[in-house]
Amino acid sequence: MKKQNAEKKYLPEMPQKEIDELNNSIRVSSEKIMADNIARMKKTDAKRPAAMQYFDEIANFFGQREKEIQAEKAKGKKVIGYFCIFAPIELILAADAIPVRVNSGWYDSAKLGDRIVPVEVCPVIRSTIGAKMIGLSPYLELSDAVISTLTCDGMTKLSEILSDAKPVWTMTPPRVKDSAQSLQLWKEEIKAIKTQIEKLTGNKITAKKLKAAIESMQKASKAFRRLQDLRKGNPVIMGRDAMLANQVAMYDNIERWTQKIEALCDELEKRRDQKAWACSPDTPRVVVTGTPMFWPDNWKLPTLVEEATPQGLLVGDELCSSDRILYDPVGIDEWTMDDMINGIAERYLMASTCPCFTSKDGNEDRVNWLITKVKETKASGVIYYVIRGCMLYAMEYARVKRALDKLNIPVYYLDTDYTREDVGQMKTRIEAFLEMLAARVDF
Amino acid sequence: MYEALFGTILAWTTAVGLALAGILVILIWKKDRTRKVSYLRLFIQTVSLVGIFYSFTIALWLSVFLIVILVATMFTGRFFCGWICPFGFYMDLIALLRKALRVRYWTLPESVNDALQKLRYVIAAVILVSPLFLGALAISDVSGTQALYLRGPYKSLNIMLSPLEPLIVPWAGSVATLSFIDWSFSYPYARDIMFYINIPFVTSVIVYVFIGLSLAGTFMYRRFWCRFCPTGISIAAVNKFKTFKWMPLLHINKTEEKCTKCGICKRVCPVQVVDVYEQKGGDIATSVCLNCMRCVEMCPYEGCLKMKLAGKTIFQSRNWLQPSEM
Repeated sequence: MKKQNAEKKYLPEMPQKEIDELNNSIRVSSEKIMADNIARMKKTDAKRPAAMQYFDEIANFFGQREKEIQAEKAKGKKVIGYFCIFAPIELILAADAIPVRVNSGWYDSAKLGDRIVPVEVCPVIRSTIGAKMIGLSPYLELSDAVISTLTCDGMTKLSEILSDAKPVWTMTPPRVKDSAQSLQLWKEEIKAIKTQIEKLTGNKITAKKLKAAIESMQKASKAFRRLQDLRKGNPVIMGRDAMLANQVAMYDNIERWTQKIEALCDELEKRRDQKAWACSPDTPRVVVTGTPMFWPDNWKLPTLVEEATPQGLLVGDELCSSDRILYDPVGIDEWTMDDMINGIAERYLMASTCPCFTSKDGNEDRVNWLITKVKETKASGVIYYVIRGCMLYAMEYARVKRALDKLNIPVYYLDTDYTREDVGQMKTRIEAFLEMLAARVDF
Repeated sequence: MYEALFGTILAWTTAVGLALAGILVILIWKKDRTRKVSYLRLFIQTVSLVGIFYSFTIALWLSVFLIVILVATMFTGRFFCGWICPFGFYMDLIALLRKALRVRYWTLPESVNDALQKLRYVIAAVILVSPLFLGALAISDVSGTQALYLRGPYKSLNIMLSPLEPLIVPWAGSVATLSFIDWSFSYPYARDIMFYINIPFVTSVIVYVFIGLSLAGTFMYRRFWCRFCPTGISIAAVNKFKTFKWMPLLHINKTEEKCTKCGICKRVCPVQVVDVYEQKGGDIATSVCLNCMRCVEMCPYEGCLKMKLAGKTIFQSRNWLQPSEM
């Protein structure tokens, strides 16, 4: 591959010593935080499923999975990173490349990002920039190219900033979701990305390979939905554990992940039959919606909810970092190349409930998705989670609240940042909300 | 005479028996939930083809046949077109062939599709009105018997029944003089073309060109003929008016909240119906839908699309990702 131009437009020149120092310190603290998070998850659920062990290991950014990807890369496989869940994973898999999601969840690197962009910018963006500056994220470092979907303003400029360091392939999602010309544009984008992937990997995406990739993703979706269905009944798994298992799908080998999720579900079914609940079945059930939450640092909200007194249980969410990752399958009528590409294009664009869209009825799909989730999981309340700088989610709050008010579902707006300073204050707020929910359950 | 008939019956029974057995084997062997209704439909279509073949061997009142088909659309929509019509069956077989050859299908632009669907009414109106004029010209010939058998001035109404024509017909009516052993071959609309254009040589050319074009059209566009077929005018269109809302017994129902607008229903529809996708929820009012249930079968959200018969759900979308338990 061509070496990147030496002249950088955004990223500052930093002395290697500073990079190493920062990388080392954040990495060490991050390892501690991951271990701490997992220890706390184990503590919350005394009989935590044994199958979670696997997800704990893979979730370690600096552990087994990094080494595996390195080994595969040494064998000549390409790694393709992506930001939003609009990137067509099936195409990446069909070209024998490894897809990894590279959004960053490190609080500390967000402060480094402040050197380039103002603090008002969404911390996910700032953190990713910071992670790139010091080479913190192993998956971002390992990826040969990054697919960036220009969903929000932050993502648009992030792709520019990152192109200082890596080839970035941008995809423009149309803002109006349901018009014919939108779908046309998006199909062209998918075809363009397919060409890019083929060029980088040197493997042609044939109909046979693509079919195999789609089928393996369908199997993953099936396992994924099975897990989400198990969360709908009495608590057999804590929400945090399920969220972690979901999130691991973004960088794990998808076939192995599917097997492990099926094993986890088997264990959970046994647990359901034995009535060995993860927490009291009367625990207020909460659904989270809003800005994506990324492991390891941005695990603040799930931890606080499930460790609060009174305890809450996350039964589902409407986050593109958890319940939305694999929920929608690619449905194929006829296994021709053309239909497969159309199917992939439609699945990634039309089934998405990202707030970057609007349509004839505004972003009605998202409200419907959320209401279905609340009804199916029998949730007693919704936490609307927004990190400062995430305009799209913040602005949709009014509509979502009105829709949920009609159903008499309490919704709580919780805004925060990539920081640990407000944990105490958030705890008070969450506990007050949960207490209110618990009181409603009593009635 | 009777021996020949017996031989034909035996041959057909064997052929159909084999087809049914084949489909049953496929049903058991294929655990793919996204295909089951489609195979069931092929099964029913095969049976109806045989039924129609034998019903033509006896003298039957064609006009009653026609009225039943047209009136049934008010209550069951174009169920006839999707599940029974032999011409539709041939088109499905061609689609299967195309799939086997791994050739893609094309789609018509929505505006063209809409225009073709409106054209149905024009064609059907012309055919339905024509006996009045023909009858007026030769009023003395008009008799109840002629009306019952669609003869005399009513001959033109026969076109409405043409899609029912089996490929091998039990009467002498071969496609432009093509017959093989004892069998006469035909093709939907071929006999009508031969009746109205009666010029030696030219007729057979037109018939073959017609067959070629309709086959090619079907190969490229799924259920091509159904988009402007006059038999499928579907009086069900009246159901769009408030007074007639109670009429359709069989219709698709959509649960708005469960729909993520993923667009699968729109893509898999063989006649490119957009109403299932675009309508927000409730009973889908469309006069084009063939009730083939392909969209219900492919919808990946449990209970989002439902096929309702007289208010009862007879089939609903399931999470087809799960292997079926046969």
